[in-house]
Amino acid sequence: MSAPIRKRGRILPREAGAAPLDVVIGVMAFLAALALGASLVADRAAEGWRAGLSGRLTVQVLPPEHGAPNPALAQETAAALDVLRSTDGVVHADEISQEETLKLVEPWLGSGAVIADLPLPRLIDATLVPGARIDLAALTQRLKQAAPDSVLDDHSHWIARLKGVADAVIWSAYGILALIAIATASAIAFATRAGLEAHHDIVSLLHQMGARAGFIARAFEWHYFISALFAASVGGALAAAFFVAAGGLESVGIEPVPFLPPLSLQPAELGWLIVVPLGSAFIAWATARLSVLAALRRIY
Amino acid sequence: MVRFENVGMRYGPGPEVLRDVTFVLEAGSFTFLTGPSGAGKSTLLKLMFLAEPPSRGLVNLFGNDLATTKRSAFAALRRRIGVVFQDFRLLDHLSAFDNVALPLRLAGGKPDDYTQDVEELLGWVGLGDRMHAKPPTLSGGEQQRVAIARAVVARPDLLLADEPTGNVDAEIGQRLIRLFGELNRLGTTVLIATHDRSLIENARAREIRLVDGRLVEMRAGRT
Ligand SMILES: Nc1ncnc2c1ncn2[C@@H]1O[C@H](COP(=O)(O)OP(=O)(O)OP(=O)(O)O)[C@@H](O)[C@H]1O
Ligand SMILES: [Mg+2]
Repeated sequence: MSAPIRKRGRILPREAGAAPLDVVIGVMAFLAALALGASLVADRAAEGWRAGLSGRLTVQVLPPEHGAPNPALAQETAAALDVLRSTDGVVHADEISQEETLKLVEPWLGSGAVIADLPLPRLIDATLVPGARIDLAALTQRLKQAAPDSVLDDHSHWIARLKGVADAVIWSAYGILALIAIATASAIAFATRAGLEAHHDIVSLLHQMGARAGFIARAFEWHYFISALFAASVGGALAAAFFVAAGGLESVGIEPVPFLPPLSLQPAELGWLIVVPLGSAFIAWATARLSVLAALRRIY
Repeated sequence: MVRFENVGMRYGPGPEVLRDVTFVLEAGSFTFLTGPSGAGKSTLLKLMFLAEPPSRGLVNLFGNDLATTKRSAFAALRRRIGVVFQDFRLLDHLSAFDNVALPLRLAGGKPDDYTQDVEELLGWVGLGDRMHAKPPTLSGGEQQRVAIARAVVARPDLLLADEPTGNVDAEIGQRLIRLFGELNRLGTTVLIATHDRSLIENARAREIRLVDGRLVEMRAGRT
């Protein structure tokens, strides 16, 4: 007959109810999850822009800014098309029709008779073999020879600017995450100190009886680990609900912020938010442990 | 086992509570520490169980000069000492059983290994039926017996008891002293601070007395 497994009393008494600390950790976790989600949105948007714009070239054949229209514009355009089609790595190149060009400028200039008289450039859209590396300088040279009024645009300027914006959002989010981590750690350190104070009689007795510092620290660190895990899970779940709700709004056609990428997160991205409660719990565990060990080092 | 040389002790900027205290506790000895209230008995014990550093002088414990011993080694030294505090210092949220088991737990023991020992010891001090009570529901004398059981359960090398029979009647007092005697026979060095003359007369052990912070050798023990 085996002896029953006996349960032993907890070294620290259990505390009832949600402490103010749990609220702080929950709110911090909510904000952290929002920041993390924003960085994921920005990252996906940057990737989307990059995928949409890279792998394409646009050639404009520009009309003269002053004076009579250039009668050779159509010829130059055809020559530029020939150059592009004979370039290695170009899948196909097509001229964009006048109507389409008009549509492109419509949002800025409106439609109507005024527009029709404007000297519009001829546009050529070229698609590249994915991953192809084109010698842009050489291509520009050849285009200039064939069509003196042509301008080659590989969109790298736009891609760089959009990527700059996305990177700024991502790094700001990381900065906010770091600040939240610091604030969370400070709150835990503060609470641990208060906890040591509240349980001073227990701590000093254990210390007196020769408990190793690690034993005493363990009693505290797990307490804060568990409560941070719980509180941050609640905060993180609320943030996840926010992103899901944003996705719901977008799917019925309501865009929370026009011109910005959709705020909803894909399931895999929502999964990333689990980092927040895990990170909070780890921060709580480590901070509580270090605080207790530091406090114990100060007593005889 | 314990050696004090010219030890002085003051709390903060206060007056010296102990002055030029010099004595030796031989391994396996049994000693009473007496003296009027406020003479410094508890203070002397605190220096021995590493609760306070001495203001001056040399304290040697288990062959370690405390002034040159690393703090990190103190926990291991403390685990070799059983202490009955004058104010018990039981943990109110733990049962009598868990309080008594605490030193074994700190030494890394598992409940299955020590449960029987703890239950037996609690029976010996007359608390067999109060094992699962929390200290606040115990009488002063019962709390004192829990404190004593906790101090002796791990069979420490050194037992320091501060007024361990202050709250119990003479009969239980004698029984507890017999418990200390039993432990002493098993090799533990015992020092008991007490006012209780009848305990001292009956046991006929060595007595050292503190008067005004100075130590006086009163009586050599039986050998
Ligand atoms: N933590 C402290 N801070 C300041 N003074 C203290 C402290 N503890 C004790 N004292 C003083 O030191 C002196 C000795 O006290 P101690 O407790 O050692 O005496 P005692 O012999 O144990 O007395 P009793 O028999 O009443 O327990 C007393 O004057 C007391 O006021
Ligand atoms: Mg005293």
